[in-house]
Amino acid sequence: MPAVQQTIDQVKRIDVDQYKYGFETTIEVVKAPKGLNEDIVRFISDKKGEPAWMLQWRLEAFQRWQAMTEPTWANVKYPRIDFQDLHYYAAPKSSEGPKSLDEVDPELLRTYEKLGIPLREREVLAGVQGARVAVDAVFDSVSVVTTFKDELAKAGVIFCSISEALREHPELVRKYLGSVVPQGDNFYAALNSAVFSDGSFVYVPEGVRCPMELSTYFRINEKQTGQFERTLIIADKGAYVSYLEGCTAPTRDENQLHAAVVELIALDNAEIKYSTVQNWYPGDKDGKGGIYNFVTKRGDCRGRHSKISWTQVETGSAITWKYPSCILRGDESRGEFYSIAVSNGHQQVDSGTKMIHLGSNTSSRIISKGIAAGHSQNTYRGLVSAHRKAKNVRNFTNCDSLLIGDKCGAHTVPYIEAKNASAHFEHEATTSKISDDKLFYCMQRGLSEEEAVALIVNGFVRDVLQQLPMEFMAETQKLIGVSLEGSVG
Amino acid sequence: MTVAVTRTKAEQAYSESFEAVAQKLPGGRAVAEARKAAIGAFAGLGFPHRRIEEWKYTDLRSTLKEALPPAIADATRVSVADLEAALGGLAELDAHRVVFVNGTHRPALSSAGREKGLEIGPLAFALDRSAGDASIRPSAPGQEAMIALNTAFMTDGALVHVAKGVRLAKPLLLIFVRAGKEPRLLTTRNSLTIGSGAEATIIEAHVALPGAGAGQANALSEIAVGDDAGVVHVKCTLEGAGTSHVAGWLATLGAKARYRAFHLTAGTALVRNNLLATFRGEDAKLDISGCFLGRDAEHIDTTLVVDHAVPGCESRELFKGVLAGKARGVFQGKVIVRPDAQKTDGKQMAQVLMLSEDAEFDSKPELEIYADDVVCGHGSTAAELDRNLLFYMRARGVPLEVARRLLIESFVGEALDKVEDQRLREALSAMTVGRLSGLVA
Repeated sequence: MPAVQQTIDQVKRIDVDQYKYGFETTIEVVKAPKGLNEDIVRFISDKKGEPAWMLQWRLEAFQRWQAMTEPTWANVKYPRIDFQDLHYYAAPKSSEGPKSLDEVDPELLRTYEKLGIPLREREVLAGVQGARVAVDAVFDSVSVVTTFKDELAKAGVIFCSISEALREHPELVRKYLGSVVPQGDNFYAALNSAVFSDGSFVYVPEGVRCPMELSTYFRINEKQTGQFERTLIIADKGAYVSYLEGCTAPTRDENQLHAAVVELIALDNAEIKYSTVQNWYPGDKDGKGGIYNFVTKRGDCRGRHSKISWTQVETGSAITWKYPSCILRGDESRGEFYSIAVSNGHQQVDSGTKMIHLGSNTSSRIISKGIAAGHSQNTYRGLVSAHRKAKNVRNFTNCDSLLIGDKCGAHTVPYIEAKNASAHFEHEATTSKISDDKLFYCMQRGLSEEEAVALIVNGFVRDVLQQLPMEFMAETQKLIGVSLEGSVG
Repeated sequence: MTVAVTRTKAEQAYSESFEAVAQKLPGGRAVAEARKAAIGAFAGLGFPHRRIEEWKYTDLRSTLKEALPPAIADATRVSVADLEAALGGLAELDAHRVVFVNGTHRPALSSAGREKGLEIGPLAFALDRSAGDASIRPSAPGQEAMIALNTAFMTDGALVHVAKGVRLAKPLLLIFVRAGKEPRLLTTRNSLTIGSGAEATIIEAHVALPGAGAGQANALSEIAVGDDAGVVHVKCTLEGAGTSHVAGWLATLGAKARYRAFHLTAGTALVRNNLLATFRGEDAKLDISGCFLGRDAEHIDTTLVVDHAVPGCESRELFKGVLAGKARGVFQGKVIVRPDAQKTDGKQMAQVLMLSEDAEFDSKPELEIYADDVVCGHGSTAAELDRNLLFYMRARGVPLEVARRLLIESFVGEALDKVEDQRLREALSAMTVGRLSGLVA
């Protein structure tokens, strides 16, 4: 197929190396022994200096997890994971309590520099490095540094690692943790609740519009280590926050487990915009290695007129199992989900969203674009449901898939449940390759074949790209290009 | 995951009732063996329940609580007039009639004329001579338990063969009548083969006589459409309140075959129509459409799988539902495009109008695609009547009831328009409109 070949060529020119974040940082670490039992849970809790109730909470989760079995309904195949053959905690030795950036291990700073993540506020302010964004950098199991904390504090915004939040703001954490994703929600959420190590905590107080973009950068570095991060974001009444997470990992032959839980809570009139650029190591061209990304993300539009919007660009991970969802509890609340999932090589993606309409006059919108290439399998799985008492619910869903090559698969599995008559649901999905008609149309107007393909692919994902914060759009476009590389031949 | 196997009363009762009636069921030794194996398989599987993905929205384990005595060699009196009344609009059609009352062939009520190249015979007769051997091995993913139950208990059905190149002058009307007050299980099976280049119209009607008791039906139809053959296949499921109807409908299409199917479902307490259409030859065309009308606490489930196993085929599905009262509609449509099934063109649409607050619609349109040079799409909508349209009509002097009726009729009309034969379309329209009036009231 000539058109497809053109796409690849066009994409190749953007970047030559396939996974440029595959390097490994050599650094001294503190690790928990392999395996999982109550002692490990106690060890993690102790390392973090957590209050007693938190340990109790973790142990409860651990007990529930022991009684659960791994979910098998997703359209992904992988060998059984031996949960006893993993380290559940790994932290750079030097990171135990750096006060400022100067105390952070320079090796770590170099790692983030290499990843292009600005951690030095001064340089960011001076415009040396990219956009002005506050960053929480999580390295394996711990947060190494959080930037712009002081400036955010002036606005009343709390932005820190969850471990720190447990020490500094235990009342807030206790109030909200597990209120969206309870300990026993699912197998991986239970596992995460028992052993989560770090992650970000954001609290935006009433009426505050967070003065800058917040972001967390997750990096897995250690071998045979699972990363279990936990993020909790609360937007109080009338608050607004935009948050971006990014993730990378070294190139390795083994599969590593990443099981995160993200909880968002939006109170009356609040808005949370959560963007993800997921670029975990996807494995090599034969499907060896790569991250298992089993993530539970859920937002709760608890207040009236609140809004939660998920935007995700999924290009990495060997296996993705992820359904960022919105519980539209408050009347007039709104949920949005924009997703681009690009799979290549032997990647398997089973991702989508759930829009659970509980309140009246709630609305939601789902735009999902899947691009499958190589030997990959790309599944959209989603649920839209309207509760019996939720009146005048609106949903619009559009999921499109583009197939590049004849060895890949694209699947759509939507569940649509309208439990009362005033619900107004629309769902549409299409799957196709780049049509010759479209190509012809563009070329007839003077574009070269390459330009035409670029235009069509860009147009295909445009609805979603537009939802990303400005600073990340260009980066993302590049990323999509890179992940499609080598998808033919 | 292993689930402890505890069988419900109804499941156990069916296994026991099989022991009691096995001797009376038609068929030679080979058939008896197959029946025994099937009931054994059913005992292992039990009724499908919501933990099985395909049955997520229709849990037979919890709804089929009672095992009913199977009707065998039934002799309930049915007059031609009764039959005509039960058939409604279909009675007008000039067709070869084959009538089954409570699962047993009634030659006296049938009027299958002779036509060259058409062979019709009751399945029971074939089973007795063990010629029906081939028709006891159908299979479809997710339908194993219900097919097993069908194999175990099937009493009769139509065995139809249309010879190569024959164009039937009259449609074939297969009528399955439920009669008598006693609640019973009716198990029927049709096996239809349409030779290459042949053309036929086949209508299956599952109806109940006025005053017929509640019951259960397990109906299975297999149709093999030969190369270059053209078939119109219609099913009307109008079994009556209190009755549950679980059906399999398995079609295979040869190269360049044209297969147009239409389903009308109404007035039945619980319906599950399992449709599976498999393309076996290239360049075939499939068009399946239907209307389902639900009221009170009726539950209507249409589960459809279109399997593009070969390249170059086209499939179209359009289902329209109208739900009133506490009715629940379910539509699960899956389009599979196998690797190498390039140049596939598939489109699917399921739309529902919800007339009451308590109606519910669950929809799961699925695409499973392993080939890249394809155009596939699906859509699903659920909504109440458009207030703007109603307003537009009322502003022009159309009374509310009339406006509602017109809008609903035009909504289902889109699906009815898929029936190309004018007389058949009119008969189906009349039946649909007749049933609609009960919903709108």
